[in-house]
Amino acid sequence: MSDPSDKLPFGRRRRTAASALVVVLIAFGVGVLLNAPAMKKTALELPYGGARSVRLALVSPAAAVSHWLFLDRPARYASSLLGRPDPGPEPVQVVVVPTPTPEPSAVTKGDKGDKGQNDGGQTPVAERPLPRPYAGHPMHLYIAGDSMAGIPGMALVNMAKDTKLIKPLLDYRISTGLVRPDFFNWPLQLQEQMKSFDPGAVVVMWGANDNQGLETSSGKVHQFGSDGWKKEYRKRIEDVIAILFAGGVRRIYWVGQPVMPDATYDRQIRLMNDLFESAAARHDGVTYVDAYQLFSNANGGYTQYLEDDNGETQQVREADGEHLTYAGGQRLAKAVMAAIKADWLTQAKKDGSGDAGAGTPASPSAKASPARSATPAP
Amino acid sequence: MLFPTITFAVFFLLVFVGSWLLMPRPRLWKPFILIASCVFYGWWEWRFVLLLVVSAVANQLFAAAIQGARTRSARKWLLAGAVAANLGVLGWFKYYGFFVTSVVNFLGAFGLNADLPLLRIVLPIGISFLTFRVLSYVIDVYRGSLRTASMLDFGVYVSFFPYTLAGPIARASEFLPQLRAPRDPRRVDTSRAFFLIFAGLAKKMLLADYLATHIVNGVFTTPGQYTSLETLVGIIGYAVQIYCDFSAYADIAIGISLLLGFELPDNFEAPYTAVSVQDFWRRWHMTLSRWLRDYLYIPLGGSRKGQVRTYVNLMLTMVLGGLWHGAGWTFIFWGFLFGGALVIEHRRLDVRRARAARRRRTAAGAGGRAMSEYGPSGAVAGDRGAFELDRSARALAAMGGGPAFRAPAAGVTPPGATAVIAAPGPATTAPPQPLQYDRRPWGGGWLPRIGVFAFVTFAWVFFRSPTFGAALSVLAQLFRGWGGVGAAVTPAVLLVIIVGIGVQYVPRTFYQRLQAGFSVLNPVVQGLVLAIGFMLLDVLGPTGPASFLYFKF
Repeated sequence: MSDPSDKLPFGRRRRTAASALVVVLIAFGVGVLLNAPAMKKTALELPYGGARSVRLALVSPAAAVSHWLFLDRPARYASSLLGRPDPGPEPVQVVVVPTPTPEPSAVTKGDKGDKGQNDGGQTPVAERPLPRPYAGHPMHLYIAGDSMAGIPGMALVNMAKDTKLIKPLLDYRISTGLVRPDFFNWPLQLQEQMKSFDPGAVVVMWGANDNQGLETSSGKVHQFGSDGWKKEYRKRIEDVIAILFAGGVRRIYWVGQPVMPDATYDRQIRLMNDLFESAAARHDGVTYVDAYQLFSNANGGYTQYLEDDNGETQQVREADGEHLTYAGGQRLAKAVMAAIKADWLTQAKKDGSGDAGAGTPASPSAKASPARSATPAP
Repeated sequence: MLFPTITFAVFFLLVFVGSWLLMPRPRLWKPFILIASCVFYGWWEWRFVLLLVVSAVANQLFAAAIQGARTRSARKWLLAGAVAANLGVLGWFKYYGFFVTSVVNFLGAFGLNADLPLLRIVLPIGISFLTFRVLSYVIDVYRGSLRTASMLDFGVYVSFFPYTLAGPIARASEFLPQLRAPRDPRRVDTSRAFFLIFAGLAKKMLLADYLATHIVNGVFTTPGQYTSLETLVGIIGYAVQIYCDFSAYADIAIGISLLLGFELPDNFEAPYTAVSVQDFWRRWHMTLSRWLRDYLYIPLGGSRKGQVRTYVNLMLTMVLGGLWHGAGWTFIFWGFLFGGALVIEHRRLDVRRARAARRRRTAAGAGGRAMSEYGPSGAVAGDRGAFELDRSARALAAMGGGPAFRAPAAGVTPPGATAVIAAPGPATTAPPQPLQYDRRPWGGGWLPRIGVFAFVTFAWVFFRSPTFGAALSVLAQLFRGWGGVGAAVTPAVLLVIIVGIGVQYVPRTFYQRLQAGFSVLNPVVQGLVLAIGFMLLDVLGPTGPASFLYFKF
């Protein structure tokens, strides 16, 4: 470090604090105007409530001034030039929830001998025998969720690849869920993935960010936990299931949220888990994976450490207490994989068409595989 | 509170104005900055402000007791108590889980059941940095190189918000003197400050976060999904990511401090241009390597107790340095790799020095001159390695600390040159001539640079991976995924990697000229340039701020 009185290289000038304040104020003020669309978008994405209203009250006038002075244009033009999404709030996208009319393709959902596809569509898709993946024709597995799905999703991808019969695609989006399609529109994303990836099975895991108010299509805001909220959230779960089945998905594995350290948050999680589980129970082809039980201690409470299959104690939750560690992700992925294998690969092994990993028992110990399905084994 | 957020921008604006308004009145300014720092730290979890308070009070009491102790023995015991207390707190928060699971699993392997309580402990952000900061104060007071500060001054030092979360590790001897007099509002190095803040944000948002989301995270978590080339690019990408992420935080912290009138020590100096591992540690996380050198390596004996002890001390220092980063065997192994590399380099230099000494003896004849074979201990400070600064460092400390002592970087030495640095040694009538030999373990030029970068990048695999198994999976994929380039290797990813490394090869003078040019602009123009720059960062950067990697250390 240099003495305050010494000279700076290449004649660099020291300036006064007042000069610095001018720079900071201009950079801040003009910066706010130039970035007003993005700031308004960020404010809109906050949970419904006082903080959001205050932020919007501050940002909205800046956004209006920015627009009036054409100062929002540079960011928009720059984004457009660089192929980036528009920095401002996205227009509301209407998602049409289609009526399930499944027509699974032979490539991703079964082999050529899948008799279930040749009955003129009379048999409900979930009740048809599942097609068997074989070498060169893997079952496409799409994994969707929020940040909680990240690590277990990655572990699941590794396990799926090891089977050589499942082609996984992990698509987790941080801070997303089902309550704020204005932040990230999962139904739209699912519809697009149904077309582009054409999955035979889908694993979903949401809820960790959904403990906040939601807005219905009529514009009414329901705070978390209210009857209106539960009704709307239930509808959104049903919409997701409808979109997936309509896209030709044969099995959905709905992963609940694990036990949480904070009592309030844990209650909220349990409420959502109940909704997930009851939705799964209502639909054939939807399996609920009980992560809550899988990550609870012997007393059903929260723990950061659990024993793995080898009897070694592992830290399963990150330092934040909520997200899963690598070991925790493995634990959850194993449970999901056991359910997937029971559905898709057990038969394959009997036929000799599967290999590594195929044929894992469909229902090992409850602790190892807490998946519960309303679907009878095919 | 994260730096790249509007919340922090508003917070800083208020603190900046308040700080300069109150600066002429230290009695008001100090409580103000103390409260502001507590708000910053407590924004995430207010209860951890108590940790700052307890740490400040306890260490101040220890320091005062050490300074007031009459006997050397009492001072020693008090120091031991302070070190134990600080490391105990750090161990509780950071290593408890690692310790308990290691013990339980170790005993479990022998069929023994250790019923140790597994508690959920929330790790306070930046506790490792805090521990090293306060220890530097207590140890310097013990050594007599620093007088105790007032409680208020020490509180400001402990909590000063720019460096609280992830360094640089400013020592008490570097920071406290700046509190003795108000900062001069007429002489603020604003140009460098704005440059560092902007450069830090750009490195973080455009380079580090881009690499993390587009290739690194995937390669390290689902290696089986990637080709060999993708894996290689992902591994190199992580080396660039961690540099851009960590140095970005340091840059922003230094820049913010400068705007408030305070100077913090540099933390990085183009680390991937290093020509040896020693050189790397003089350029990477410089405040940590200086800390380890002065408060761990030298007290262990440094290089004063023979070659074997030197090697042991190096290894111990690096392994503990690895453990400092995280509670896990992979971090320990990472430290072990660097310790091993430093030992090899020191061994090469020791052999070379012995040969040079023999040559000189031969040249001087059987009688020989009255000259030490190896020269005085520490005589080659600066170019003998990252932890070879014993006497000079202690001499500086004894002189009252002052500004950070910078070891001369080996890269500065012209290729092929032999170091002829005169050494601060014992007073003699005629200063001894230093031995003539190349102090760079692997010479100069591109080959050692590439080799060191390859080694460091390899070591990062263990640093990044949660387990050995995961690290080996990534490394194995380098040989298993042949065939095709892979979709993750895009021109943009390659460009970001090239830029991330390339900026380190741009001469320092280029950046200094830029800063000088910016400094003479009208403040209004400066503000407009920055505003447009921030807009471009926002357009080009990722959605939502990502936390800095070093927060968890």
